[in-house]
Amino acid sequence: MESGVSILADNVSKKFGLSLRQSLKYGLKDMTQAFLGRPVHNNLLRVGEFWAVRDVSFVLREGESLGIMGVNGSGKSTLLRILNGVYAPDTGDIRIRGRVAALIAAGAGFAPMLSGRENIYINGSLLGLTRREIDRLVDNIIDFSELEQFIDLPVRNYSSGMFVRLGFAIAALSRPDVLLMDEVLAVGDLNFQKKCFDHILRLKREGTAIILVSHSPGAIWSVCDRGLFIDHGEVRVDGTVEDVIRSYEDQNSRNAFSGNRLSDRDDLSEGSIQTDSFSSNYGHERGGTGEVICRSIRFLNGFQSDRCTEFDFKESMLIESELVVKAPQENLLLRFTVDAMHYRFIATLDSLEQGLELPFIPVGVYRLQVRVRSPNFRPGAYVLNMGISTKSVGVHLFYWFGAVRFVVMHPHSSFLYSDSNAVMHLDSEFTLQELSAMIPDQVS
Amino acid sequence: MSNPPQSVRIYSPRRKLQTPFRSVAMAWDEIYLSRNVIWQLFTRDFIANLRQKIFGYLWIFITPLLGIASFVFLNYAGVLNPGVMDLPYPLFVYIGTSLWALLTTTVASVGNGLIANSDLIIRTNTPKIGLTLTGLAGVVYNYLVGVIMLLLIFLAYRISPSPWMLIYPLLSLPILALGVGIGLVLAVVGTVARDVAPIVVSVLGLLMYATPVVFTSDLSNPVLRPIIAANPLTYLIDTPRSLVTSGIIPSPMGFCLSSILAFAVLLLGIHAFYLVQDKVAERL
Repeated sequence: MESGVSILADNVSKKFGLSLRQSLKYGLKDMTQAFLGRPVHNNLLRVGEFWAVRDVSFVLREGESLGIMGVNGSGKSTLLRILNGVYAPDTGDIRIRGRVAALIAAGAGFAPMLSGRENIYINGSLLGLTRREIDRLVDNIIDFSELEQFIDLPVRNYSSGMFVRLGFAIAALSRPDVLLMDEVLAVGDLNFQKKCFDHILRLKREGTAIILVSHSPGAIWSVCDRGLFIDHGEVRVDGTVEDVIRSYEDQNSRNAFSGNRLSDRDDLSEGSIQTDSFSSNYGHERGGTGEVICRSIRFLNGFQSDRCTEFDFKESMLIESELVVKAPQENLLLRFTVDAMHYRFIATLDSLEQGLELPFIPVGVYRLQVRVRSPNFRPGAYVLNMGISTKSVGVHLFYWFGAVRFVVMHPHSSFLYSDSNAVMHLDSEFTLQELSAMIPDQVS
Repeated sequence: MSNPPQSVRIYSPRRKLQTPFRSVAMAWDEIYLSRNVIWQLFTRDFIANLRQKIFGYLWIFITPLLGIASFVFLNYAGVLNPGVMDLPYPLFVYIGTSLWALLTTTVASVGNGLIANSDLIIRTNTPKIGLTLTGLAGVVYNYLVGVIMLLLIFLAYRISPSPWMLIYPLLSLPILALGVGIGLVLAVVGTVARDVAPIVVSVLGLLMYATPVVFTSDLSNPVLRPIIAANPLTYLIDTPRSLVTSGIIPSPMGFCLSSILAFAVLLLGIHAFYLVQDKVAERL
């Protein structure tokens, strides 16, 4: 391995059995094969197996840090365990230079009956430190973890925050050559978190190669130089942190889109009602008097008029809906509202507000089209609801909650990282002017 | 970094067959590497075990004494027929049961070593063999305390042990080797089928009655006699016991063959462990 390279992963794959029963069967089979000295065919999947990690390759140099993102079950933790030597890869190999500290091991081996100080020695030895090295570090560790008064207390009396702080301090202060971290930066209060970030960046400057697995775009963005986005065990994006975060969040939005699908009907890319008969009552999702009903709602891509559920950021949308008017209506009001993941009714599109007056609508079947030009939805998953009423009647003729879902993807031109809870993007201009080179109060 | 060139670790699927000797060499290296961990975990368990107990360190002596008491009672009640012996029965039973306990506790602790430390195996890169053998430190410690206890019992009966007493722990090494060998196989098999190790430990408990632990080997029972003579454990237990008490080896040939067998089992156990250990972590 050439000098300066800390980790070299070459086409690493790892497979698992889906059920315990199957993995027991294959486990016995593999073990017997191994006992007999026969080669085990690792690069083929047997029935009931899947690739937890598939053909992952990367090179990490000293002082570099790599962020790994992926939704739950994408294979991040498995990859980290392979890197930590816990699982042997089924194919490919990994070379790692120097001492590896894994922050997945934060607090590993802590004995509840023993004091914090005694546990520093146990955990330190598990991280590959000798007793003498720990002797040298122990004061710094106690200092860093801010546990001075409690260090001789049995750790079972520690709060969970104290517990992780101690674990983090041991791993981080051991000055590893390679640091593997799994979602650990959200430790302790804000000041402690800042201290952790500072310390990690210092380790990085001093040459530690870092791998950070996290669901937090902020953590990845602040620590890592590059990233991998992993999905179903495979690397989908190997590139800048921004690209990786975009892909991760888009994947999340898609999952939010399909996650609810299970509990609802089969296909929510297009809302439709199979029958024309509609009893006038209030249901959970759909209801109303039934004088007017909406048979279908779907999204079309603004230009090609293809059915569509994924939109680029600010891409225009076309909502198309089919209405059945069973009794003549006066002053009809047609309204769509939009829900975001965590907020209801973040936007409304009302026929009257948008300038469509419908003083009299005779019985018939109608097609409604609503074009939304450059909507300002931030990337994420959204739900469209529909309501039909008239100006003079105070009840809904028809309503439909959760009629269609759609996803807005991250833009490629800009990086919308600041807050994944925010739903609207407001175009604005920032300027910063210097008013004075001094802070007047600080003179005193 | 400014450090001297660090070692490069390689993780890859095992590609070619390895010999048992290569396995033993790897085991040796890895145990050496994890000596710190073994020691720290031993002290951890040792201290944690004794804190919050009224008798504290006395427990180390209380447990074996209770063990002897039960057999002495059985003997006194006439339930047991231990055979003719020129030793006080409690002394005889104490040596027998402590050697037997060395075997069973070794098998149980090593056999359970992977599962007991599964958390550490999944979260740290400590060599697996090191973690599997950590429990052994406690077993050996208890055994050595038992040896001191034995000296006290000799003293109490005003019997002087033979000079062989000096190397008594060495004489019990074959038992330890056998226990570790069986334990290592059980450890890896146990990760796939968890009920195997407990079954073997219980069967081992039965085997005690086919081994001269609480009775002598020249038993008159025509059924048991050939079984006892064919049982390698007979020689592994009888030899150290009769050497320290009378200085005689009842069957030098039996002891030699049994010891060779015991170390062969150890070799096999280590080899089996290394062949299979890659498949182990994901099943914990």
